[in-house]
Amino acid sequence: MKDFAILYRHIALEFKPTENGRRATLRLARPDNKNLIDHDMAEEIRDACRVIGQDNACRLVTVTGSGSSFSVGRATPDVAEGDVSGRIALLRIADCLSALPVPVVVVLNGDAIGHGLELALAGDLRIASESAGFALWEPGQATVPWDGGTQRLPRLVGPAWALDMALTGRKVGAREALALGLVNRVVAGDELETASMELAEQIMATAPVAARFAKETVNKGMDLTLDQGLRLEADLSVILHSTSDRAEGIASFKERRSPRYTGA
Amino acid sequence: MPGFPTLIFEKAGEVAHISLDRPGALNSYNMQMRDDFSEALSAIQYDDEVRALIISGQGRAFCAGADLTEFGTAPSQVEARQVRWQRDVWGQLNGLRIPSIAAIHGYCMGSGMEIALLCDLRIATHDAVFAMPEVKLGMIPAAGGSQTLPRNCGASAALDLLLTGRRFGAEEALAMGLVTRTVAEDELESAAWSLAEDFCALPWPASGLVKQAIRDGMDLSLEDGLALEQRLAQVAYGA
Repeated sequence: MKDFAILYRHIALEFKPTENGRRATLRLARPDNKNLIDHDMAEEIRDACRVIGQDNACRLVTVTGSGSSFSVGRATPDVAEGDVSGRIALLRIADCLSALPVPVVVVLNGDAIGHGLELALAGDLRIASESAGFALWEPGQATVPWDGGTQRLPRLVGPAWALDMALTGRKVGAREALALGLVNRVVAGDELETASMELAEQIMATAPVAARFAKETVNKGMDLTLDQGLRLEADLSVILHSTSDRAEGIASFKERRSPRYTGA
Repeated sequence: MPGFPTLIFEKAGEVAHISLDRPGALNSYNMQMRDDFSEALSAIQYDDEVRALIISGQGRAFCAGADLTEFGTAPSQVEARQVRWQRDVWGQLNGLRIPSIAAIHGYCMGSGMEIALLCDLRIATHDAVFAMPEVKLGMIPAAGGSQTLPRNCGASAALDLLLTGRRFGAEEALAMGLVTRTVAEDELESAAWSLAEDFCALPWPASGLVKQAIRDGMDLSLEDGLALEQRLAQVAYGA
């Protein structure tokens, strides 16, 4: 299995083989305008998510930005005129990312503002450079975030801090973001790449199907009552009994060795 | 008080105390413990004198997880699913009317963490070590952990722990809201009992009703939660 990349103009999508399966990296690649999200980039992100979703060997996705910003959002006039709902639909990207079945780690190399933050919120884990900042500026522009920001941010940090950010538009630094639970880890900028690869490798060393099921039972379960969530967990847990990786996991534990997972 | 092979069950006044007692196996959770646990919880459930429950572990750990030596002997998936609900010990623990406290020291991993998460409050010693290692072993939590963990610390922090299976300490657990207090090892028992006695000092059934309002309200829309709260307040005034 070799490295391969799919060519886009505004993003870069690379698949890298590792000893634990394939890792996809989706990189916003317009550092010249701080990875501003426009129609072309949005269409490429949706296409990349479709390609990743079809790759059964893909174990994990990292999403990051080229240059000094993750993404500063979109240009304001992008949506303002004409058929607003149609133009919004053309720009929506967060749901495509959050629908991926494998773990998604967002590597925040710099600021994630507005739509950029909404994209970052659609991943499972966020690791940030200590120089990164986060803000929602939409209300200041007489609009409302519409790519999941009003729903995913309060689920992550609680309604008060979500409103604090949305109603002031202030930029939250990486340390504060860590305290709020907006990001899971903060590291020095020059350590970001190493730290995010270590995190990715740690996740990829687990059993593939179990990792997907864990993501599903947590994320879907949070939209259910506890009783319903417990049913989902129990059913997915029992389905895992049919995998050979579960038997391998138990055998490796008993034999005090590292497991060898096949994803079956 | 009947003796159990895998746990110590005692009552002191209005406080019930279950201490996991397989210290040679770091209190790992096995089928016998499931049966004992279920029986002890049934006794508490129907005991009108008990106003608080403490769960702790004997020896060097709270509970290091499920006893994997019993794994692999599992019956068919159909049977495994049936067994899960036939003796729903996790539903019993979650459904208790009285407040419950997990007093955690040493290893608190996998099923041990899930037992603690089904309690209302968790106190841990400074040197307690936590982990949710299931995914590293080709499994997912099966005692409610995939639901109780994100409800306590949020989905993203829960996935950080579940997808890596990494170990973490009491201070991180405190920062994430997974435990409410950390104490020195020699203070754990007194801290747990003092908290339990505080609960017992509250007028009954108010302490049980406030637990019910908060636990059950989390599953409701705000409007329905407020209505539940009104009904329970009326019950408390009527008592």
